[in-house]
Parts: sequence; structure tokens; C-alpha cells
Amino acid sequence: MNLFYFVAFLSIFFSLLVIFSKNPVYSVLYLIVTFFTFSIHYILLNAQFLAIVNFIVYMGAILVLFLYVLMLLNLNKESEPMKSNLLKVVGVIAGLCLLLTVAGSLKLLHASDPVLLKNPDIGLVRNLGKVLFKEFLLPFEVSSILLLSAMVGAVLLAKKDITKV
Amino acid sequence: MSALITITILALLLLYLGLFKAKKALLPVALIGLMVALVLSLMEWDSNAAPIFSNMMLYDRFAVAFSGITIFLTILIIALSKDYFERISSNVAEYYALILFSLAGIILMVSYHNLSMLFIGIEIMSVSLYILAGIKKRDFASNEAALKYFLMGAFSTGILLFGVTLIYGASGSFDLEGIKQYILKDPTAVSPLLYTGITLLIVGLSFKVGAAPFHFWVPDVYEGSPSLISAYMSTVVKVAGFAAFLRLIMFSFAPLQDFWIPMIIGMSVLSLLIGNVTAVYQQHFKRMLAYSSISHVGYMLFAIIALNGSSDNAVFVYAAAYSVATIIAFGVLILLQGQVGNDSFDSFNGLARKNPFLALTLTIAMLSLAGIPLTAGFIGKFMMFSKALSSYHIFLVVFAALNAMIGIFYYFKVIVAMYFKEEDRKELIVPVYFKLVLGFSALVTIALGVYPDFIASLI
Repeated sequence: MNLFYFVAFLSIFFSLLVIFSKNPVYSVLYLIVTFFTFSIHYILLNAQFLAIVNFIVYMGAILVLFLYVLMLLNLNKESEPMKSNLLKVVGVIAGLCLLLTVAGSLKLLHASDPVLLKNPDIGLVRNLGKVLFKEFLLPFEVSSILLLSAMVGAVLLAKKDITKV
Repeated sequence: MSALITITILALLLLYLGLFKAKKALLPVALIGLMVALVLSLMEWDSNAAPIFSNMMLYDRFAVAFSGITIFLTILIIALSKDYFERISSNVAEYYALILFSLAGIILMVSYHNLSMLFIGIEIMSVSLYILAGIKKRDFASNEAALKYFLMGAFSTGILLFGVTLIYGASGSFDLEGIKQYILKDPTAVSPLLYTGITLLIVGLSFKVGAAPFHFWVPDVYEGSPSLISAYMSTVVKVAGFAAFLRLIMFSFAPLQDFWIPMIIGMSVLSLLIGNVTAVYQQHFKRMLAYSSISHVGYMLFAIIALNGSSDNAVFVYAAAYSVATIIAFGVLILLQGQVGNDSFDSFNGLARKNPFLALTLTIAMLSLAGIPLTAGFIGKFMMFSKALSSYHIFLVVFAALNAMIGIFYYFKVIVAMYFKEEDRKELIVPVYFKLVLGFSALVTIALGVYPDFIASLI
């Protein structure tokens, strides 16, 4: 339990740093650390697969994409839009409304019966693989068409046309 | 199932044909392959089909009928594609392959028995379509259409997926039967999550079929995409989206009618109003067709409002009538755009004198879309209206009838331009494939209008 509190503290700490750091690149780097702490949470919850996916996809792929976009946008003081005080007030009100809604809905909701965890080992890669290759075999196989069509499309759109004379 | 496998293998085969520069073989191979798929899927006609692959798929009569009609319509559209893609670029094989991939997704969408299959089906279909909408790389409108379609489609898929998760959270199942059992256990005390889930699913699916108020991408995307792809989107894709919608609601959510019927009525009324009234003001044929497709979604929603055992039949007939007529309209549009370079109503002037055959088929199509008796469109509208009347939605039917009258006005604009406005023009050259498809579609339209029993009680 102590480990959980420590990791939880780290996630909150680093996510606050994401917001408060002045340099957007640092923000993204802190975001990476935040996602890393999430991965630790998943492992603590016995969800290996989620942890790995979170590690590879979020930390690896998506945040690198973030960094690229930041590089391309070339953010600096001059290009920053002016934030008026009115905008800040509106932002605070909207944020508080969101908080209120989230708190209210959390209070009303309770874990519905069917999704209570019946098998605590369900998140292990081995069990997930078994489900994937037994019950969900057809969707798993069919998603290959999805990947193939996306691949064909990407090549088609990115390839340079031979200019016709 | 065998149709799905055939179509996928066919797509791969076409990719290889493209690789080995067998350009001449592409169209015949695609047509023959699709015909094989059509026959194979019709052979699975079985009234007591059981779910296969651990309840992932159910190839019942509903699935056979709708995959049959989507494959049939794809055959018609691909037959129109002779020399069409060559004008865009040299990567013709990929275009055919993408159309077939999206058709494979559509087969999943009409035969799913599990929400994960629905999701994958919709994704396969949409991803291929995002690309197909943008194949004219140098054309600004085509780029805009692809980007708009992609962004809207991605959002709507996200909403759909959110709905699926919430439904799973409430019922603990992705399976249509499982969800139904959960609702039937105690319809009055289902979790509020389920209601949110149903709403989000309905929103996501109506994005895909283009029902108002989720229609705003339709005109731009249909106008910007290459006409052949617009034809595919406004017929095959729309039918498939509707079949998926109907299947979901018929299988699982029928017991919660009181919750979703008001939503669907609202969407239907809005689609009718926006589609018809805006179509009146259009100057271009293609944009008019886009708005008219929105209004036809409004009519088709009637079958869901008055849900009972024969809803699938009504949707089937209406979708068949609407799609065949729309294919004729787009066929003429493709010829006109290719040879005149313009699709405003004025460019139809005097077409009847120079191309009597084209004018005749287009007239039949317009009459069918407007719902004039002795055409298939009339039978479709008749079935929809009588369904709505049988569940006492009298005001809705009156409103729809008024809208149908507005519809007659803008469909007749084309006919008037063709027959009664004289203008000196060159004769359009109509290739053989076009003649075959247009003539055949016009025959089907008339045949269904005169003898509707042929498909009216099929499913």
C-alpha cells in the first residue's frame, strides 16, 4: 500500500509539473514521466498487458509525436496568443463546473455488478492472449484487413505521382 | 462468411494484378470475383442460422439480404469505373482494392453479432473511404473532402466506441444476445450507463449514415470526392450503415423503445426538413443529390420508429430502390462531368434531344427518388409510410408527405431541364458499360415498381 501512495504522489507531482513548467518541451518530458508512473500503477493492479501497451504506445509513440509537433510549431513568446483576464475567469469557471460534474457523477455511480473483477489474473498477457485467440479470434484476424487497407492507403497517398505529360 | 473471404482474397488478388501491370484484367476480375461473392453469400440463405466463431457473427437472412444488395450495388458501381480511375492516376489497382476492402468491412457491419465486430467493420469501411475520398491528390475539393471526412469520422468512431464501452460497463457483454438478456431481465431498472451508451451509439451510427443533425459533413464530402466514390458512399455505405443501425436496435434495444423513439423521431423530422428544403436551393446536381440523400435517411428512419418484425424488409426495399436510382443519377453525372465539365442544372438543358436514352434513364431515376407510382421509390415510400401509420405516427406521416412534395419539385428541375429547355449541345458519348448499367438499373427500378412482391417479403 505504501508503494501505491508513493507512486500516486509521484503521478500527481509530475502532472502538476506538466502544467506549471514554462517550456513546452519540459512539459512533454514531464508528461512522459507521468505516464511512466501510470504504467507502475497498472503493474500494481496486476494488469501487465495494459502496462506494456501504455509504456510502448503512450510513452514511446504518442509522446514522440508530441515532441515533433512542438518542434514544428516552434512555440515562443511572440506567437503565444494573448490571454485576457476574462478568458482566465471563464477557464476557472469551466474547470470548476467540470470538477463538480465529475464529483457528482462519481458519487452517484457504483461499480456495476457484471464488471467486478472475477478473475484477478485476467490482466496477465497469457490470459489476454488466450481470450484473443479463442473468443475473439475472428475480430483479431479481421483487424488484419483494417491494417492492410490503412497501409495500402498510406502508401497510395504518400507516393509521388509520376507526372503525366 | 464465404463472401467475406472471397472479397478479401479478391482485393489481394487485385493488388497483385496491379503489381504485375495487368491493368486490362483489373475490371473483369473484380466484376467476376464480386459475382462469385454474391452467389456464395446468397447460397448461405438459411432461416435457422446460428452465430458462428463464438457468437461473433450471425449470417442470418438479414445479413444475407443486406450483404447481397451491397455486393450487387458495388458490382454496378465498379462497372461504371471503366476508364474512370485511369484519369486520376496510374495506381488503379489500389483503388479497386480499397473499394473491396471497404466492402469487406460492410459485410461485417451487416452480419455482426458482437459489438467488437461492428466496430471493426465500421473502421475497415471508413479507413478505406477516407483514402478514396482523397484520391484526387491535386484537387483541392477532394483534399478537403478527405480531411473533413476523416476528422468527422474519427470523432464519430470515438463516440461510438465510448457508447460500446458504457454498454459493456452496464451489461457486462459485447454480445447482442447478452445485452438483450441484460435488458430483458428487468427493463425498468437498467443501469443509467446503458442509456448513455445507447445514446452515444445512436449518435455515432447516425454520423455514419448522415442523419441530421449529424449530417453537416455530407454535402462537402459528397461534392468534393470523385463522383464514383460519392456514388459508392451515398449508396452502399449508407445502406450498410443503416443495416448496422437496424440490426443493433432490432436485436438488442427493442425493449427500451420508449427511451430512443423520441430521439429517432427528432432525427427523422430534422433530416427530412433540412435535406429537402436545402436541396431546393442547390444549383448543382451533385450537391442536390447529397442533400436528397440526407432526406432519404429521414424516410428510412421511419422503419426504426415503427419497429417490428418487418422493419428489415421495409428498409431493404427502400434502400434497394433509393440506391439503384442514385446509381443512375451518379452515372449520368460522371458522364456529364467528364464531357461537359460542369454539373449545374443548366448543363442538362436539351439532353433529351441528343441523348434520349440517358435522359430516359435519368428521368426514371428521378421519378423513383421522388416517389412517383410505378417506380421502386414509390413502393419504398409506401412501405415506410404504412409502417409509420401502423404505429399511429400520423403527424410524422403528414409531415413526410409534405416533404415528399418538396422533393418532387427539385427532382423535376432536372427533368424539366432535359426535356423542355432547348439548347444546342454536343451529344454525350456513352460507353457500353454505362449503357448496360444505366439500362439495367432503370429496368430494375421499373420492375420493382410494377411487381414489388418480388423482394417485398424476402427477409
